[in-house]
Amino acid sequence: MSKIIEIRNVTKEFKVLNRREGLKGSLKDLFSRDYKIVKAVNDISMDIEQGEIVGYLGPNGAGKSTTIKMMTGVLEPTAGEILVNGNAPYKNRSRNAQEIGVVFGQRSQLWWALPLVESFKLLKDIYQIDDKQYNSMLDLYRSLVDIEPLLHKPVRQMSLGQRTLSDILAAFLHDPKIVFLDEPTIGLDVSMKAKIRTLIHALNKEKNTTVILTTHDMGDVDALCRRIVIIDKGRMLYDNDIEHLKGFFGSYRTLKIRIDGDMKEKAEKIHSELPQFSVDSDDEWISVLVDEDKEKVIDVLAGLQKKHDIRDMQLEEISTEEVIKKIYEEGVE
Amino acid sequence: MKRKGFGFYFRIYCKILAQDLKSKMSYRADFIISTIGMICTNIAGFISFWILFRSFPSINGWSYHEMLFLYGFSLVSLTPVQCFFDNNWSLRINVYNGDFIKYCFRPINLFFYYQSEVFDIKGLGQLAFGLGTLIYSWTKIGLALTPLMVLKMILFLLTSSLIMIALQNAAAATCFWIQNSFYVLDLVLKFKDYAKYPITIFSPVFRFIFTFIMPIAFIAYYPSLVILRPDEVPVLSWLSPLIGCVFFWLSYKFWMFGATKYSGTGS
Repeated sequence: MSKIIEIRNVTKEFKVLNRREGLKGSLKDLFSRDYKIVKAVNDISMDIEQGEIVGYLGPNGAGKSTTIKMMTGVLEPTAGEILVNGNAPYKNRSRNAQEIGVVFGQRSQLWWALPLVESFKLLKDIYQIDDKQYNSMLDLYRSLVDIEPLLHKPVRQMSLGQRTLSDILAAFLHDPKIVFLDEPTIGLDVSMKAKIRTLIHALNKEKNTTVILTTHDMGDVDALCRRIVIIDKGRMLYDNDIEHLKGFFGSYRTLKIRIDGDMKEKAEKIHSELPQFSVDSDDEWISVLVDEDKEKVIDVLAGLQKKHDIRDMQLEEISTEEVIKKIYEEGVE
Repeated sequence: MKRKGFGFYFRIYCKILAQDLKSKMSYRADFIISTIGMICTNIAGFISFWILFRSFPSINGWSYHEMLFLYGFSLVSLTPVQCFFDNNWSLRINVYNGDFIKYCFRPINLFFYYQSEVFDIKGLGQLAFGLGTLIYSWTKIGLALTPLMVLKMILFLLTSSLIMIALQNAAAATCFWIQNSFYVLDLVLKFKDYAKYPITIFSPVFRFIFTFIMPIAFIAYYPSLVILRPDEVPVLSWLSPLIGCVFFWLSYKFWMFGATKYSGTGS
């Protein structure tokens, strides 16, 4: 195995104008040079091996996109070093682009008006793919998904699912060493999600392509990633096997209940009854984050039912956001 | 990886163009309506020009036919910018909503890739109209038709096109820094209309502006002097091919510089 991506102490800073409030403030801002430095990515290091599928997670605004933009050569790091396939992506964006494929969940990179097969032919020319490789890739695609109905359909007439599928196929077409997938299953139905996960998995196996996957869907992570990296507020929080984390978030579940009366008041009361768990409330639900190592959800529910008149309940597996929140608050170990 | 020279880009452009035309033809109504629209715009422009010259037989020593020549010249020289660089008009939208980032992931020149996406077929109507006007006024003025003249004509038409393209590139690229570059583009478009008139009719202040700051006088006036008034050609006319290339190169650099400043909206 060889290292395909090396990231060494990378930091990316943005200059942001300190905005004042109100019209008067805006006028002042026009002439102000009062900038503050925001660190979108703060001292991140990691190595990624050829053929890995890495889940790159973090809440919105954590710095995921910024890291990906640096790896694809769109942004230059403020400090530190990135090597993709041995080259600094920012210094030669074009050469780097030859070795990578990128898919953004909701932004198609294909030619809107063209049928998919024509887009493929253009990509064949742009990436200078030879006929043999091109045909064998199409044969591989045919064996994995039913692409015939897609090939002659203009991209603009496709459903979101078909478009995402097409975008993924297009990203793998020139047999890149790395493919970046930014929320590839966002907004898709369950069966399409499954289809796309199977496809990504198969392409990774077949071509030994490194895949960097950002997502908010734990289903994607479960189906595809052996390793996950979590960042928040620009800092790396976690970088390890998923098995390691699974035990961690497997034991947490969110119990949501609905009780008549003022939710906030009730939530406080429940929290005083269950001080070992964190309790949240919104207009509809009171959420109790239960650590099943300490107490079974069913027992907690039974206990609550004795004291409160529960009208409705839901059980949720912990979401990525919550795992990250937990990790952020308590750390892993 | 093979070198990506002119041949490579030319081949890719032709393929994109062929595909684009094919798909445009499939929207027949859209195609016909926009062609009719373009013809109407040109006819309207011509009528207002004609009415003007009903009342004034000549402007500042420029006869009706000479003015018509300028008019035709500017129409023809505006064709390339209309046909090949029309995607500049969408640049601000692409930058604003973050779609611009998709152009950054291909191993080809960013500027080329962006502009190659749109070919505006409406420009061809304008070309036909401009050429007609040019040929008509050419015969009416009684200009000689020698190979040298034709060569000069082509050279200076290309020059004017380059300057117009440069102006539009630069105007469009402002959107990498400011929120709404539409007004800048629109301003350039408005000023472009003055390109049809001989610059001598303006006051010295505007003459200076149109020559050195917003060089629209190079779009039709200075280049066509070479054809129309071979005896009194200012140095600026002869310099204009060079100026055209320099301006185009500068606008390209400015555009690319803006693109590297671009960081995309978060997703």
